[in-house]
Amino acid sequence: MRTFVIILFAATCLAQLAVPGKMIWNHERLISDGTPYKFQTQPIDPSDPFRGKYITLSFSADHTYDTADWSPGEAVNVVFTTDSAGFATVDYLTRDAPEAPFLRTTVNYKGSENVVYFHLPFDRFYMEESKAKPAEDAYAQATRDTARVCYGLVNIGSGGAVITDVFINNRSVRDIVNEIEN
Amino acid sequence: MSKQILRALPELVQAGIIDEATAERVKVYYDHQGSASGNRLFVVFGILGAMLVGMGIVLILAHNWDDLSRSVRVTIGILPLLAGQILAGRLIFKGIDNRTWREGTGAFLFCAIGVCLSVVSQAYNMGGDLADFLLTWMCLAVPIIYVLGSGTTAMLCIAGITWYGCELSYFTYLGSHAAPMYWAVIASILPNYYYTYLRPQLKNNFYVLISWLLVLSLTICLATVGENTGRLFLIAYVSLFSAFVIAGESDLFQTGRVLSNSFLVVGSLGVVAILLTASFVDFWDWESNLDVADYSTLGIVMVALMTLIAASALVVHVRSKGVAAVNTKAYAFLFFIAVYFIGAQSAAIGALLMNLGILVLAVYTIRSGAQQNHLGILNYGLLIITALILCRFFDTDLSFVVRGLLFIGVGVGFFGTNYYLIKQRRGNT
Repeated sequence: MRTFVIILFAATCLAQLAVPGKMIWNHERLISDGTPYKFQTQPIDPSDPFRGKYITLSFSADHTYDTADWSPGEAVNVVFTTDSAGFATVDYLTRDAPEAPFLRTTVNYKGSENVVYFHLPFDRFYMEESKAKPAEDAYAQATRDTARVCYGLVNIGSGGAVITDVFINNRSVRDIVNEIEN
Repeated sequence: MSKQILRALPELVQAGIIDEATAERVKVYYDHQGSASGNRLFVVFGILGAMLVGMGIVLILAHNWDDLSRSVRVTIGILPLLAGQILAGRLIFKGIDNRTWREGTGAFLFCAIGVCLSVVSQAYNMGGDLADFLLTWMCLAVPIIYVLGSGTTAMLCIAGITWYGCELSYFTYLGSHAAPMYWAVIASILPNYYYTYLRPQLKNNFYVLISWLLVLSLTICLATVGENTGRLFLIAYVSLFSAFVIAGESDLFQTGRVLSNSFLVVGSLGVVAILLTASFVDFWDWESNLDVADYSTLGIVMVALMTLIAASALVVHVRSKGVAAVNTKAYAFLFFIAVYFIGAQSAAIGALLMNLGILVLAVYTIRSGAQQNHLGILNYGLLIITALILCRFFDTDLSFVVRGLLFIGVGVGFFGTNYYLIKQRRGNT
């Protein structure tokens, strides 16, 4: 019995360290090797009971035209490209793993006129608790000036994605908030 | 109470009512009781302390320290987990069986897993909803229940996985997803519940609290698989509550006190609540937008499964106790199923049968209270009748005089039966 408990304890410790370890490993690899894309967005600041304040990002590149049959919840590989302004846009959807950097996600639903909506898993950008609201305000101010653009910088590769920063007019939202606070 | 008895001991010895040896045994008994209650306090404060420290760390790290680099934040996030694992390892390898340490360490390690996952999520801005986060947390925490034998961790896991089930099915916009992992995690906790508490018949505070959480969790989360089944799913609920009543009356779950018997309390109240709901004509008149052919397969399977579980439990229970000794609420699911199909043909007959059923249930409860000389059960039966009359107050065309007379009748019944029972008790003493 004691041997069983020790083996179970060792396996538990390994699992408890391996799960966050795997998360860290995957995301570090994406940051170093992934292809960066700029996703146009609009942030707002909700809160998570355990993980604190973050800004929610709502991206425009979350749908595309596709004639194939897609059902809600189905796994899909999304390959992105960039438009003339340098922002990410969907190149194509596929069920097989493509050669190009891709994001593996799920289909939300297929709307009218063959427009397929899918889930973008990098919709949160965590900020220090006092900075999430000013970040949202800074964005709101930026939207009044139509010349300003807001985007998230996302590294994509081998099915995964990680958002590394949010920019308003090519300046990090963290720098803007720090400037406002100072 | 014990202090009064201890103070009275010299007087009792002097009066020759008890001898010195008996007085000494009484003293030793209460000394032992005192140290047991002291240990209980240690356990309670140990758990509270560990939980508060753990949750404090969660909140401090939820601040998201922007000035710290990602690697520093991740390292800080993993430290409490390592500390918890080292503490747990010390208890296991040194064979320390101290309850306070085991419960405290279990509670701390549970929180430390949450801290670690939170920090990694923050550091890499991981998306994903709260349900995924809670599920990962609970899956990593369940083994602690077995490794440390921690009842606190079992309670936290049941609470956490219930939150996960609700988050996925009730709290999310366009939710109503079935939560299969909820059932898997609950099933993974049950062997510990059986081997730690039920088999050795250890009915301590942990058993009572875990049982309450388990019963409430199952009651809350059963509906997560009941999407698109209309009122048919109520059969699953009545079966669940009947099964609870049967369990609560069985020797395996019996605690000897009503309030600590969560299966009996929730099962009994649940049966009465559903039968009362179905006692309205509108309940049977209501037409669902769904066609029976469109009912979800999962929901129908769950209804069948719950009915099968309740029926099997009833057969075993009747065989061991005999038909007459079984609580009438244990048969409620069979009655409800029969009336369900009759009510589908005629709403009026369905409602009438349901009213009669509740009346029979209440009368049996009153009779059972009188037989057991238990005022609580007797008044519970009277309360069921009162609730039934209150329900009829709203949906019948009875004149105010008749309704008034009914209430007076029940009031007299309350007074008369209680008076009779109290008088009988006095007569016995």
